[in-house]
Amino acid sequence: MKKITTLLALMLALVSSVFANSNSEKAVEPVEVNVFQFKVEISEELQAAAALYEAQHPGVKIVIQTVGGGDDYGAALKAKFQSGNEPDIYNVGGPQDIKDWSSKLEDLSDQPWVDMALDGILSGATVDNKVYGLPFGMEGYGFAYNKRIFKAAGIDASAIVDYASLQEAVVALDIKIKNGDLKADFPLLEAVFEYAAKETWVTGLHTSNVALSQELGNVLTAFDAKNIEFKYADGLKKLMDLQADYSSSADNKALLNAVDYSTQVDTGIALERVAIIQQGNWIYGGVKNVDPEVAENLGFLPMPIVGAKEDSIPVGVPMYWAVNNGTADADKAAAKDFLTWLYTSDAGKDVIVNKFNFIPPLKGYESFPVKDPLGQSIMAFANAGKTIPWVFMGYPSGWGMDILGAKIQAYYAGEMSWDDVVAESVSEWQSAR
Amino acid sequence: MKRSKLSFWVFVAPSLIAFFLVVVIPMFSGIVMSFTDWDGINNSPNFVGFSNYVKVFTSDIVSTKFMFIDLEMPKFISVFIFTAKFAIASVIIINILGFGLALLVTRGFKGSNLLRSVFFIPNLIGGLILGFLWQFIFTKAFNSIGSTYHIDFLLGWLSNTNTGFWGLVIVLSWQMAGYMMIIYIAAIQNIPTSLFEAADLDGANFFSKLQNIIFPLVAQAFTIGLFLTLSNAFKLFDQNLALTGGGPYHSTQMLALNIYKTAFVMSDFGQAQAKAVLFLIAVSAITLTQISISKRKEIEF
Repeated sequence: MKKITTLLALMLALVSSVFANSNSEKAVEPVEVNVFQFKVEISEELQAAAALYEAQHPGVKIVIQTVGGGDDYGAALKAKFQSGNEPDIYNVGGPQDIKDWSSKLEDLSDQPWVDMALDGILSGATVDNKVYGLPFGMEGYGFAYNKRIFKAAGIDASAIVDYASLQEAVVALDIKIKNGDLKADFPLLEAVFEYAAKETWVTGLHTSNVALSQELGNVLTAFDAKNIEFKYADGLKKLMDLQADYSSSADNKALLNAVDYSTQVDTGIALERVAIIQQGNWIYGGVKNVDPEVAENLGFLPMPIVGAKEDSIPVGVPMYWAVNNGTADADKAAAKDFLTWLYTSDAGKDVIVNKFNFIPPLKGYESFPVKDPLGQSIMAFANAGKTIPWVFMGYPSGWGMDILGAKIQAYYAGEMSWDDVVAESVSEWQSAR
Repeated sequence: MKRSKLSFWVFVAPSLIAFFLVVVIPMFSGIVMSFTDWDGINNSPNFVGFSNYVKVFTSDIVSTKFMFIDLEMPKFISVFIFTAKFAIASVIIINILGFGLALLVTRGFKGSNLLRSVFFIPNLIGGLILGFLWQFIFTKAFNSIGSTYHIDFLLGWLSNTNTGFWGLVIVLSWQMAGYMMIIYIAAIQNIPTSLFEAADLDGANFFSKLQNIIFPLVAQAFTIGLFLTLSNAFKLFDQNLALTGGGPYHSTQMLALNIYKTAFVMSDFGQAQAKAVLFLIAVSAITLTQISISKRKEIEF
């Protein structure tokens, strides 16, 4: 009997010491800002920036956690909030997220960076004239192409301004590849395109955006749209087919459903196995790790939708930084100060442009020019006014990836006709709204 | 007597408390949640009665091949059918493999102990890692072997429903066969050697020994083996998520993944809970039926 009592006492002591530990740990740090963010590419650099901030602001500790990619982040964030372990800073993607998370968002309208924002860049995070998010940066995607291959094949990329000229260039390049004309310089080159249909964000969000943004206008009107017409479905089909018909899976398009991001980028364009891929400026770091020379020779071609704008690329904001309104005032203040520091101080600006490779979303970055070729290419398109907006953050939850993206896979597998893909996606949009 | 009663509770209490905290209480709160419209973020959901259960069977109609004809049915049912097919295929394959391996390594040849560990090791690897590992094998290794030697069979694995299905079966079989082997080894070694000696004297060959001694006497182990594989196959999540992610076009989505997607991607926790409750009922019904059937076939000796 005595033994049991001792045992119980021991267990109790153990348990209480565990709890005591966690309490005392919290008491040591006065302000701890927990950041829960989604961009894997910048996780190390953000850590370094946080260390810099901590050095300048004693008494504040920044704890960063990164969970990458599309819906994984949304799921992890919900789980994080449900566990009671709420972060102070997290990411929201646009109107749908802002609406979903409205009960957990701090109003950031009084922050100094609001007045410095580029025109219209805050619109996706503004509800009733209140700003709820600080944009990560500007990003753009299009047909990223290898300038060296184009040069070797004698194709003038600047002449590609619409679908007809794009198709002409692709066919010409395809013939040269099949004839083996480029074999000497590019031994691995086997196709014009590689298209990651396995990644439904590539198909269902990015490719579809080219058509839908021209129908819906901007992310807010997309978010408010009760139904869609899918006016440019034919133009979209042309882009989808072009990327499939001149890919390495042209003979059996179902194989595209097994092509993932790394096949498209790391073992695709970076190895010079293909000449063009539909991706954005975020691939720069990855390509550079494989072959710096390829990375320096990348640029964007427009994504033409027949019957709409044909000479533009989609440019938008991937995510916004948001502050949790449910934590202590000191935490909130520190969180806001960290974000302001990161985007407006000189040290922070250097990190944004040169470490994160972001295209700045705010004014006042004149002394921090964008250096990577893909970023410069986007700036060139933007300065010429040849951009179309991102609207996929205004799609109904899950519609882009899990409905349209999945149906596009069925289309490539030959299980579904294009007309059915369009018709069913249109009706799913309506029922989701 | 009094003392042993107390120590009984002292020893049972920790696991009983843990069981209540992580199984019983969440189960009931889950059942309650299935009657609400909770979206996973907002903390004040509304009660919506049975509408989540109705939605499971009325919304999201897809056409699915069943018994070689195309039928219109709710996504949940078509996922259920896919999961059931998967469970049948993997239960058969895993148990045949596990039993075969057990027979092999109990024959007492040199190195059989080493082989036991080798066959068991896949079971020590977590499902997610296993899924990603095999994803690499199916999509990259198969592809390069196939394109080098022009074997079309090896190309494009996981890019359609069929290869996705068999990919999942292969992964689960590879993982679980070793575990089942251990269970069958224990059962085979429990058979008194006198029975085999008697059979040898009667001049029985290996197959009649298998049929008349081993099969009837390991029937108890088959009950356990079938139960474990059946319930694991139905509840499969990690491997499904890591290997195919339900793709292409959701055609290899299994029940647990479908429920997860409903909750975390579509932000419909209420409906996901309703599905989970139905899932719980279905899995218990199926496994209990299996246990009661295979119990009847057991022999005491």
